[in-house]
This record gives sequence, structure tokens and C-alpha cells, in this order.
Amino acid sequence: MLPLVLNKSDLGAWIEALAAQRRVAAPVLKETSPADRTDLKFGWEYIADPAEVRLDYTVTVLGPKKFLWPARQTVMSYQIGADPRPTAVLDHEPHVLFGVHPCDVTAIQTLDAAFSKDIADPHYLARRADTAIVSIDCAAPCDETCFCLDMGSLYPEAGYDVMLTPEGNRFFVEVKTPLGEALVEKAKVRPATKQDMQARQKFAEEKRGNFHFQLPFEVKYLPEILDASYDSLVWEAIARRCFACGSCNTTCPTCYCWDVDDDVAVDLTKGCRVRRYDSCQLDPFAEVAGGENFRKDRSSRLRHRMFRKGKYILDQTGRSGCVGCGRCERACVADISIKETFIQIAGSR
Amino acid sequence: MARPVLMFDSLSCCEGCGLQVINCETDLLPILAAADIGRFREASDGDVPHYNVAFVEGSIVTSHDIEKIQEIRAKTDILVALGACATHGGVNMLKNFQDPDDVARYVYGERRAWVPHIPARPQKAEVKVDAEIPGCPLNPAEFLEAATCLLMGKPFRLPNYPVCVDCKLADNVCLWHKGVPCLGIVTRAGCKPYLCPSAGHKCIGCRGLVDKPNTQAAKDVMAEFGLTVQDVLREFRLFQGIYDEVSKEA
Ligand code: SF4
Ligand code: SF4
Ligand code: SF4
Ligand code: SF4
Ligand code: SF4
Repeated sequence: MLPLVLNKSDLGAWIEALAAQRRVAAPVLKETSPADRTDLKFGWEYIADPAEVRLDYTVTVLGPKKFLWPARQTVMSYQIGADPRPTAVLDHEPHVLFGVHPCDVTAIQTLDAAFSKDIADPHYLARRADTAIVSIDCAAPCDETCFCLDMGSLYPEAGYDVMLTPEGNRFFVEVKTPLGEALVEKAKVRPATKQDMQARQKFAEEKRGNFHFQLPFEVKYLPEILDASYDSLVWEAIARRCFACGSCNTTCPTCYCWDVDDDVAVDLTKGCRVRRYDSCQLDPFAEVAGGENFRKDRSSRLRHRMFRKGKYILDQTGRSGCVGCGRCERACVADISIKETFIQIAGSR
Repeated sequence: MARPVLMFDSLSCCEGCGLQVINCETDLLPILAAADIGRFREASDGDVPHYNVAFVEGSIVTSHDIEKIQEIRAKTDILVALGACATHGGVNMLKNFQDPDDVARYVYGERRAWVPHIPARPQKAEVKVDAEIPGCPLNPAEFLEAATCLLMGKPFRLPNYPVCVDCKLADNVCLWHKGVPCLGIVTRAGCKPYLCPSAGHKCIGCRGLVDKPNTQAAKDVMAEFGLTVQDVLREFRLFQGIYDEVSKEA
């Protein structure tokens, strides 16, 4: 397909047209920091007006994952009594996630693999099948915590239907899938001219110049480096500061563990089963019936998280468990950094 | 099974937790349909000789409170402590860090000699408590959950993870990152959907600490943030449950 271009002034009309067919979720400005009004806090929300969409956003607390897998989700309803009639709850409707950064595109591919393996997860997969992804490329690192280039998520080759690249007053529109083609039919795009292509080239060069590798080793060695660090004192040292609050997991775009609770009506006639994001950093995470907890110490839990992110998820799904988005470090009140941890263990062997 | 007999009563407190129970309104109807109310101080008069479950709010600040909770304990199969005052001593504990005579003077005034005031303490300091629903005030949803568990004969378990979990699930920007130190990092969750950070306020620890709080790390982080030991203690002292742990190390 010929490279396409969309003028920025035509973006709103495109989003409006998409909204007639699908629920549109996109990054919006949530608040500014009371301490510093220039410190903008963005979040992923359903939008009511295309003018809310902020494709110039930097980072968000939760990513677009929350639309594919809500933080709290009813998975089953049932009656109490002789005839329980358990019914799976599969709620999904056509969505478009508009403005997904490359790291989150890559993370969603990890989730796709994780939720498809072994016993496929119908709740996630139903929503995923009904969701279109419009990605927006990053010209520069979103902040100092990210290391997406190292983790191989800055240049995703798939996982999106349309990729937008911002340059001046236009977007380059790359259509990846037939679904993407259908989405772009609603947009006032035009074929790229030679000048457009030169601007595209300039964006690519600037992007290359703006990102730098941050790990002192190639990421393919990460599983090996982790293996060698298993008995290191580093885990104990880092975990001294850890609150076991779980924010690193609950915000991570590739974490896929959940806990299940029964929500029973007060009149005891019916109930539903609800799952919520869980975290391997929480004290009760590895507690089993009888009260035994096989990861009692914060240090063993912290080590487990780092191994999940750098090795286990890769082993199990074939895709990286960490995309280098920096959310875990940003969310951590104790400033525990996965990037620094990876650097530290490489140096401490 | 015979219809269980419930009772609701108060020790020293603002009686806000009892009000929260009444605030459950129509959600209470199934409970009232399945159980008898032997006594509900805040809603009506009357009493019965024996209860299956007693829900008691308030902390102990006078020797009268001790007598009262002992009487209730003797008359009930199950005692459920309702709210921060009952479970951790609550804001009443603030008086323990001040001169007792001063406190008596400005609280009871002229008639202070009539009141046998003693240092404040939670109910479990005097009698065996079977279940606790913390919070200032308690979260009605959690009260209903505990009541449902009791009716089903299923154990009621409080969440054993910090407020941060529910805060992140609500997609909140952390208050620490907006320049406000928040105690959610060590405080037991369970206040959703009413958690303070969702309304822009810091968590002040009204539900007490999680089972294994990293209070040392909390103090380190608060110190790095620029708070003095006095500031840190003030944060932790508002609800005594937190003071216990921290005072050992301070
Ligand atoms: S966010 Fe930080 S303090 Fe909380 S569990 Fe993760 S590493 Fe520990
Ligand atoms: S582990 Fe941290 S940096 Fe890696 S994907 Fe998860 S949140 Fe992002
Ligand atoms: S981590 Fe990388 S890909 Fe993700 S938002 Fe930041 S710069 Fe973009
Ligand atoms: S605002 Fe408070 S409760 Fe929320 S994540 Fe931050 S420390 Fe935790
Ligand atoms: S956020 Fe903290 S202070 Fe607020 S209700 Fe919950 S436990 Fe209490």
C-alpha cells in the first residue's frame, strides 16, 4: 500500500467517525500536579469528544491493558441453591484503542500469548478479538525511567492495525492489517508526496538519535544473567526498601496474574465471581490452603518478579515479560527500578 | 438453625460506624429478614439476655467502658469490633500522648471527677474479639460482606495487602508523586470504593497496618521526602494501630 498522510487538522473528524462504530479509548490529560502545573498527568479513558485525545501524551499509570483486561472483572454469575446455573460472563463490544505507544503494543502481544497458552482465557480473548489498535510512534523517550529500546519494544513489527507517526502538522499513516484498512477508510488521508517521505526519513533519524541503550549488556543475555544472580545478596538489599505494595505489578502492562473472589448477594440467593489484578509482591500471593506461604520474604518475592519479567514469561510465552515501559519504577514509592536492578545484577556476579 | 440474634452497641466514639450500618438502608433488609435484633442502641430501646453476634463500635476510655464490654462479651457468642476506635483505639488514642489531667480538663471540664477516665485502648485489650471491621468510619460494603459471611457460616477475612493495590486498580496517580506523603503503602486495604486517594486525599491509616508492614522503609522514604521524626510520628499516631509498630523503632 502507498504510504499515506493525514493532516493533524483532520484527526478529530476521523476519531469522530470511528466513534460511530466503536467505543474509543485514548490517552487524555487527567490532571496537573498541584506542586508543578507544568507536570501533566495523563491517563487512558473512554473519550466523549475527539478534542480530549492527547497523542502528545508521555506516560500513564495503567496502560491500555485495562480495556482488554479490566482491573476488576466479573467472570461468572451463579444462583445459590439446588440449581446453581453457573454462567460465564463475556462482556465485549467493538473498541478502538487510539494512540497506543510501541511499548504497550509489544506488551499486548505478550498478553495475547499468555492468555492463549494452556487454558485459553475466553474473557480476555473475546475482548481482544473485538479491539482495534491504532498506535502512535514515540519520537523520544517518554521519561528517564523507560528502556524500551533495550527491551526490543520500540520498533514493534506487528500487534497494531494502524501506526501513526507524528511529523510537524501531519501524521504518517501505516496500515498493517485489513481491519486497519477499514479504519483508515474513514480518514481523510492522501498519498504521501516526496516531501512527506523526506520528513518521514527525518523523523526516523531523529528518533534513532534520541534513544540510547541503557543496559550494559544485550537483552538476549538477560535470562543467563538472572540465573547467575539467584543467590546474590542484591535481592535482600533491594527488598529492604520494598513495601510489598504491589504497585509495580498492578501497573505493569504485561503482568497477567489475578485473584478471584466471590461476591455473594446479602440475601444469599445469588453471587458472582470477580477477578482483580494480583501481584506477586503481596504477602499473601503465595499463601496456600493451610496457611503455608512459599514466598514469605520480600526478597524472594522481589527476585521472583525480576525473574518473571526477565526470564520466566519469555520461557513460557516466547515473548518478553518486560517491555521497558518504566511503569513499575514510576509507580514505586521506594524508587525500586527494574532497569537499575538488571544493571546491578550484571555487575555483581 | 434458629434465627440468629444480633445486637449493636457503642463504647466511647462518635457513633459514626453505627450510622454507617444504618446507612446500608435497604441492603440491611435481607439481614433483618434472616435475623432478630436483640438490641440496637442507636435505632431503638430494649434488650435481650443473650446474643449470637454482638457488633460493638467504640474504644475504651473509661472504666465504665471496660465493665460494659465485659458484660457484652459474657452475653454473646461472637463479638465483632466495628470501626477504628473498636479495632485499634482510633483517634481516642491521641489522648495517650498528652497530659491526662489536661485532657480531662478540656474534655470533661468541671465534672471531670465524675468520669473514671483511663488511657484509651481498643476492645481487644480487654476482651476476646472474634472479628474486626476496621476503618474510620467503617466501609458499609465491608460490613455487609462480613454479615454475609456470618450468615453463610464462612470465615470473614480482611484484605492483607496495602491500600496501594486498590489505589492503582483505580488508576490513580500516586500522591507521593504529587508531593503528598500518603500512608497507603503500609495501611490495610478494604476501603474501596471510598479510598481517600481516589478523592485526592492522602491515606491517614484509619484501617491500621497490614500484617507485615515495612514501617522501616516507610520511615526511610518519609525521611528522604524531608519529613522530620516528629512529622512521621504525627502521621502514624493519628490511628494508634500504626503507632504501636512504629514507636518500637522510633
Ligand atoms: S512498587 Fe516498589 S515498594 Fe511496591 S511492591 Fe513493587 S518494588 Fe516493592
Ligand atoms: S516490568 Fe516494569 S518496565 Fe517492564 S514492562 Fe513491566 S512495568 Fe514496564
Ligand atoms: S517506553 Fe518507549 S515506547 Fe513506551 S512510551 Fe516510553 S518511549 Fe515510547
Ligand atoms: S496515593 Fe497512597 S495509596 Fe495510592 S499508590 Fe500512592 S501511596 Fe499508595
Ligand atoms: S485510604 Fe486510608 S485513611 Fe482513607 S479510608 Fe482507606 S485506610 Fe482509611
